[in-house]
Amino acid sequence: MNAIILSAILGVIMMFSGIWVNNKATLRWIALAGLLVLLISNIAEMYGYRIWNVNVHNMLYFDRFGLLFNSVAIGSTFIFVALSGSDINRVGKYAAEYYTLIFFVLTGITIISVYTSLLMLFLGIEIMSIPLYILTGSDKRNLKSNEASLKYFLMGAFSTGLMLMGITLIYGATGSFSIEVLNNPAIAQGVSFLEITGMLFLLVSMAFKVSAAPFHFWTPDVYDGAPGVFTSFMATVVKAAAFIAFVKLFDARMSYSSAVVDWKMLLCILIIATLLIGNITAVFQQSVKRMLAYSSIAQAGFMLFAVFSMNEMAKEGIIFYAVSYSLATIGVFAVLLKMKDFTFEGYNGLAKSQPVLAFANTVFLLSLAGIPLTAGFFAKYFMLASVIQTGHYLWMVIVAVLFAAVSVYYYFRVIQAMYFKTGEGETENIHPGFKTGLIILTVIIILLGVAPNLIINFLYF
Amino acid sequence: MPIQYYIGLAATLFCIGITGVLIRRNAIIIFMCIELMLNAVNLLLVAFSKMHYATAFIRNANTTAGSDAQLFVFFIMVVAAAEVSVGLAIIVMMYRNTHSVDVNYLNRLKN
Amino acid sequence: MSITVVLFWFLTALALLSAIMVLLSKNPVHSVLWLIVVFFAISGHYILLNAQFLAIVNLIVYAGAIMVLFLFVIMLMNLNAETEPQKNTWLKLAGAISGGSLLLILVSVIRSATDMTGRTAQVGEGNIGLISNLGKALFSEYVVPFEISSVLFLSAMVGAVVIGKKD
Repeated sequence: MNAIILSAILGVIMMFSGIWVNNKATLRWIALAGLLVLLISNIAEMYGYRIWNVNVHNMLYFDRFGLLFNSVAIGSTFIFVALSGSDINRVGKYAAEYYTLIFFVLTGITIISVYTSLLMLFLGIEIMSIPLYILTGSDKRNLKSNEASLKYFLMGAFSTGLMLMGITLIYGATGSFSIEVLNNPAIAQGVSFLEITGMLFLLVSMAFKVSAAPFHFWTPDVYDGAPGVFTSFMATVVKAAAFIAFVKLFDARMSYSSAVVDWKMLLCILIIATLLIGNITAVFQQSVKRMLAYSSIAQAGFMLFAVFSMNEMAKEGIIFYAVSYSLATIGVFAVLLKMKDFTFEGYNGLAKSQPVLAFANTVFLLSLAGIPLTAGFFAKYFMLASVIQTGHYLWMVIVAVLFAAVSVYYYFRVIQAMYFKTGEGETENIHPGFKTGLIILTVIIILLGVAPNLIINFLYF
Repeated sequence: MPIQYYIGLAATLFCIGITGVLIRRNAIIIFMCIELMLNAVNLLLVAFSKMHYATAFIRNANTTAGSDAQLFVFFIMVVAAAEVSVGLAIIVMMYRNTHSVDVNYLNRLKN
Repeated sequence: MSITVVLFWFLTALALLSAIMVLLSKNPVHSVLWLIVVFFAISGHYILLNAQFLAIVNLIVYAGAIMVLFLFVIMLMNLNAETEPQKNTWLKLAGAISGGSLLLILVSVIRSATDMTGRTAQVGEGNIGLISNLGKALFSEYVVPFEISSVLFLSAMVGAVVIGKKD
């Protein structure tokens, strides 16, 4: 509860500081301080210190899994603001409002990682999405940003409609909005068809939210059209949060209905389609930003394995995947935003002009591709190991490894452009602090790649 | 009233809404069709709430079963109102730049 | 046939017909007006189900506030039947077919959901839909989501200003 209330309050504080503080750099420091307070309060809650004792009437349940993910999300946002804060300030006039909206998104995220009532899932997803529609459209003069915002909004509202229909049908069958199924009369008399239909509606709407194929078509346009900083935020923290909600929902409700619906087969189709479309289309992109949009679809395919296998290892894995994927993508985007040209050619010769940026970018891309000694390797390893633990559909592991090999191709195109091609590698002015931040991020990613237990131990101790 | 009639009515309204999203090109009309979908859901929730109330009433005359669904409807209306204000702002912003509310116009911007 | 049954079928027919007219009207203003008729019909259903609070809120919020906003925007942009973009016939047909198939699936689900046969929604009686009962539940059991939805409104407000303000 600490993080939910504090992030809302901090949002209001940011809003008012926009009135009195005119210097955008100061706003960024306020936001960073706020995020630090938020992170500390959330970690304190993991160890039992609660600032507010609120009776939540069984709508939220603060378990280790959800709280750890909150810490991860807040920490990633902290790194995101620290690295790309200057780019947020460049998007438009309303820097204070952008930080406000980011805090409100965090409120939504901290709700959907601990919900136990479908009402809170619905509210959390809406609190998370509505500020994002605005952040997507914050570059008001840019037609692409407008387009992205409208597309994201219509798709988001449409999938919310589907989700509500699903929730309603589940309510009709069970008489409660709880995601637990303990006192369910339906178990005694077999699973109700209405409930199954409701679960299918929820599956489709969650697939929309995490951009799994074939419901991914909005993703490339939205990620490409939105201002780059906010794409970085959307593709990492927000997407990971949607996955946590997805995992929580199906963790509670999948197993007892599996006699009627073969969820594993449905998810298998989703995963294969997502991996196929994400990876193959990413190969043909000319713009690095658009390539990253498709690669985020491909990474979503890997994260779906957690929903597929749904065991202890999958839950550990999804948290670790969220960390490694978020950190690496935030890093790649932070470098991308400093480039003058977003195509592959723009990266030519970056190793000569900015060796630090090029090296850090290489580590981030290697992590995204899942090369050993980086965090991305263990993330993918956990996902595939969890599938092997279930003992079903083992051939999917081989398919996934093949697609990971395909992904190496398009990530290496960037590395090749930086190191082996001659060019200017033009960038904006690089602040020494930015380089330090990148180096710290690189060290974190390599550290997690050597000792993944640093994160996972938090689940248990 | 048998609950199936209500489910049928709500499902039909919901599908009309989905069809509208698919066949219209005006962003405002598409958005209105989404509102229609939400209203179908609301109607169904209220019907279910009265169904569960009727079942629980036989066992306990002071039951509050079903009030949760009516409050859910209330929250859906809250969210819809917030969504409309943002959505219309986005549509107006696009109209200022393109002088059109045609969603197909957006495809011409690609590449 | 009792008066309730007559009213039920009348409101159902009204809701479905006007919902279809929302799709078929060429003029966006007509679409808005038909949608308001749908909302009135749904409010009628709420009254039949004795959910009086929701019936009034539905009229005030949906038919009153939200639809007026839509009308404002449409009139601001001066949209009419001439400016209305049309999809080509094949795409329309494909959309109608996919919507229709979803309806078929849902109908077959309703028919095969055996736990719903013989269950009825209580019409015209039952006091959970009255404002005092809902208010008590809202401010005791549902106070957390109620407070949290204020964040939603705040972000929508900030957002509408950020987007709508002229630079």
